[in-house]
Amino acid sequence: MSRHPSEASLALLAGGELSPWRRWGVARHVGGCEQCRREVAEFSGMREEVRATADSPEVSWNSLATEMRANIRLGLEAGECVTSHAAAHGVFSLRAMVACGSLVMLLVVGFLIEQPAPRTVEPKIAEAVLETNGSGIQVTEGSQAMMLLNASARDVQYEAGGSTMGARYVNSDTGQVTINNVYVQ
Amino acid sequence: MSMCSRVAVAAVVGAMALCGQEVPLDLHSSIDIKLPPDSPVALLNTNVRDSGATQRGGAMVIDLHMALSLRNSDARTIRGITLLVTAQEVTPGGKASVAVPSLNVAAGQAFPVRIDLRLLRPLQAGAGPLVQVSLDGVLFDGFDFYGPNKLNSRRSMTVWEMEAERDRQYFKSVLGAGGPEALKREMLDSLARQQERPRIDVRLSRGGRAVTSAAEPERLARFAFLKMPDAPVEAIDGWAEVAGNEARTPTIQVQNRSSRPVRYVEIGWIVKDRDGHEFLAGSVPAAESDLLLPPGKTGRVLQDTALRFSRSAGEPVTIASMTGFVSNVEFANGRVWVPSRASLPPAASSSPEEQRLADMYRTKGLNALVEELRKY
Repeated sequence: MSRHPSEASLALLAGGELSPWRRWGVARHVGGCEQCRREVAEFSGMREEVRATADSPEVSWNSLATEMRANIRLGLEAGECVTSHAAAHGVFSLRAMVACGSLVMLLVVGFLIEQPAPRTVEPKIAEAVLETNGSGIQVTEGSQAMMLLNASARDVQYEAGGSTMGARYVNSDTGQVTINNVYVQ
Repeated sequence: MSMCSRVAVAAVVGAMALCGQEVPLDLHSSIDIKLPPDSPVALLNTNVRDSGATQRGGAMVIDLHMALSLRNSDARTIRGITLLVTAQEVTPGGKASVAVPSLNVAAGQAFPVRIDLRLLRPLQAGAGPLVQVSLDGVLFDGFDFYGPNKLNSRRSMTVWEMEAERDRQYFKSVLGAGGPEALKREMLDSLARQQERPRIDVRLSRGGRAVTSAAEPERLARFAFLKMPDAPVEAIDGWAEVAGNEARTPTIQVQNRSSRPVRYVEIGWIVKDRDGHEFLAGSVPAAESDLLLPPGKTGRVLQDTALRFSRSAGEPVTIASMTGFVSNVEFANGRVWVPSRASLPPAASSSPEEQRLADMYRTKGLNALVEELRKY
């Protein structure tokens, strides 16, 4: 005799819910096994009892659905009222403005203090530019710059030539002519 | 004032204080001054008073004011000196020089050289000196030269000294012919010319454009050239790409009219704006080691840069026309030619020596100037 089928298989056989191949195998065993036949009979009996119990109370599904829809609508309307009230407060609240302002200030100061420094010796990516202004000649490469100042200068004359910018002036402290040149490579 | 406003004001004041605070800086270790062992000048003293560093945001601004005291330790009289200034950590592609021409420093005498620098660099920088100062050249009486000459300071100082000799000779002849009053008139004319010269700011970039956008269309503008019969080199033709206040890639064809080979030519570049004002924009030099012009031959002087001109307030100076003139020539044997005073255009700048003598007249008077001319 083959092994007894599991209780689940017997219960499914009682409800007619086994697949055809599995039903044939289990039914063949039950036909020759008194114990399993009794169990299948018990499952069938329980099934009849449950069906009889479920049929007795009368539930009005339509009224229940209407009540649920009304509750959902009411909840949505109440939610809209609460949101518009809070938004009006958010725009005009002084406390909120001060909090936001402080946060922005903190971020700006933090950025200025702890701004990540570029590498000290960078590969020459940025183009070097020479320019003159009232103070002297400046060569700029990216965020770094060097300016040769016309200190104590009288009558500054600027002149560009090739990759050079020159400033010529008389130094009022020494009386000497000074010629500053800044070059780009 | 509400509590919130007081807090906000305090935060702003605090941020401003943090943005511009003084930063301690060891100035003596920040500056490295190197002179060769056989240097004809000796460093007596370095004064870095008034120097300092200031933190601005994530960057540091360093102001270095160096007053060097040097002594002529050679037997010859020094006529000029050029110092090379580099700040490799700050501008790897940039270097500078400070030159003092028109000197008259006898053996054993001391003389000052001032170097004033401003550096902008990140807060976190490497160790080592910020600025290196070294000797590029010393020019002596008789055009003798000492130095590594990395910046071609020999040629520059020779040109300045030749112009100085020319102008001293001229003013001495004026003094001899017309007396102190004639010299005074010359000085007043010179000061007036210097005063009338337009103050133009220039921006220069290698290749490409000097500015990101030019509103006016680009055109090819031709140079007009000044006739200089005594010049060993003649400028034949030249042009530059011009757009508004910007000129790019000036190119000039020159011909060697002398009997000696030429290795360097510099063309003075005068720009006239739309109002008819002329100013010396700069010069178009031959690229180093790029020109060797045998007698009678033609060559090209090319400058791969872009120049933008503006007045002090940032107002663009529109380029209407351009004039060129041969401002100096160096022969293959190292001799240098400079134009005579008579052949120079009015817009050309006065020489460093004329600038010094005119300033001496203004600050010390006519007698001091006459005494100065008698020293030579």
